[in-house]
Amino acid sequence: MSTAIAATIEIQDLGGLAGDVKARSGASPMSCFQCAKCSSGCPVAARADLKPHEAVRMVQMDQREAVLSSRFIWECTSCQTCSTRCPQQVDPAAMNDALRAMSRAARKVSVGTAVPAFNDIFLATVRRRGRIYEMGLMVRFKLRTRRLFEDIGKAPAMLLKGKLPLVGPRIAGRAGRKAMFRRAAQGGDQ
Amino acid sequence: MSYVFFPGCSLDGTAKDFHRSTLAVAAKLGLDLPELKDWICCGSTAAHSTDPLLADALPAKSLSNAGGATVAVACAACYSRLKTANHRIAGDPAVRARVARVVGNDYDGLTPVRHLLEILCRDIGLARIAQSIRRPLAGLKVACYYGCLLTRPPEITNFDDAENPTLMDRLMETAGATPLEWPHKTECCGASFSITDASIVLELSNQILAMAQAAGADCIATACPLCQLNLDMRQKDIEARFGRQYNLPVFYFTQLLGLAMGCPADELSLRSLVVEPQEVLAAKGIGC
Repeated sequence: MSTAIAATIEIQDLGGLAGDVKARSGASPMSCFQCAKCSSGCPVAARADLKPHEAVRMVQMDQREAVLSSRFIWECTSCQTCSTRCPQQVDPAAMNDALRAMSRAARKVSVGTAVPAFNDIFLATVRRRGRIYEMGLMVRFKLRTRRLFEDIGKAPAMLLKGKLPLVGPRIAGRAGRKAMFRRAAQGGDQ
Repeated sequence: MSYVFFPGCSLDGTAKDFHRSTLAVAAKLGLDLPELKDWICCGSTAAHSTDPLLADALPAKSLSNAGGATVAVACAACYSRLKTANHRIAGDPAVRARVARVVGNDYDGLTPVRHLLEILCRDIGLARIAQSIRRPLAGLKVACYYGCLLTRPPEITNFDDAENPTLMDRLMETAGATPLEWPHKTECCGASFSITDASIVLELSNQILAMAQAAGADCIATACPLCQLNLDMRQKDIEARFGRQYNLPVFYFTQLLGLAMGCPADELSLRSLVVEPQEVLAAKGIGC
């Protein structure tokens, strides 16, 4: 990878969305020269409302509203293909992590995505139990999103095959984990 | 080299078969895999798409308990999160200091993390594995499917060639099987969208199954609980949605290796597979 070229093309922080993304994630949207190699390999480019190179371009152009409310940032599977193949070390996958957090903070989350609800339930389970209990996670997610019967037909077979234990793990140290989550939310400053 | 095992959450649930077959294979090789004490969830995609600090802190909390041993990992997603946290903590003093304040102790990011494929192929070595093969998987054509997170991003995982990894292929070859050349080794299966938007998984996993079939595969070998679940448990849904017929068993590579080493079928949890493998195995004269 040509670090030297990337370094010369990277424009100093212009503030705006590109600057925010860089500060949060280390991604370098301003280095992008629109080769679209990311979009060629992206598994969701064909279905999302933006392709990765388009999203990067919109970040460059400070199109905050459009990017933060896009479906694309929530349909990204974090497969890392874009970041692996990018000749400019833009790291669109890290950019999307930053954009998802910013989208939530700005209350711009695309209507219809269930990913933020899933992430919240997932992390609350980790905080409470220390580990993920898949069946409990599924039940909570279904209750929250009211998709009670989706995939319900899979449950009996999964139980029979021993893939859904009825009792979940609980790891000691719950108070310590809660404190850890709280300190992380405060940015680790304290 | 001494190891402690980080099984990850899935291996106590939907990937119980990965867990059991890993321990069965390890026993055949005399590989000691005591579980890492008090390990907690790596945070997975939920953590890194919510808060980068939490995404580094959760692995750091587990890795700082390793006591100098190498952490052995089975799940590709855990592997990715543990290695990414190490990379960021060891590479940036400011990240290390923030993580230390969150976790409550200073972790240097230097606990070695190895995937089972690296341990089997590189630490133990294929020559030693070859000596433990009792029932070679002769004639079994296997599409080795690595998924996303073992190889990407290569600067962090340093696992194998990012576009055409061959570690699992070489292991399957050592087990007597015939690994196939095929182009979807590292395509994405859709991962946890299985829960949030299954249409993404059906579409992406269909392409992987179609390509494996076109390459002439008898079965697929995986190294990740999400990949296995998506290709196996959703295979019937995929067939119905796209009007295809695959009937391709989707093993964990440890199950196939265990078969070749002569482990009994129940130690490998072959019954846990949704697409039943007996027919394919029997057709190749592989008893189980």
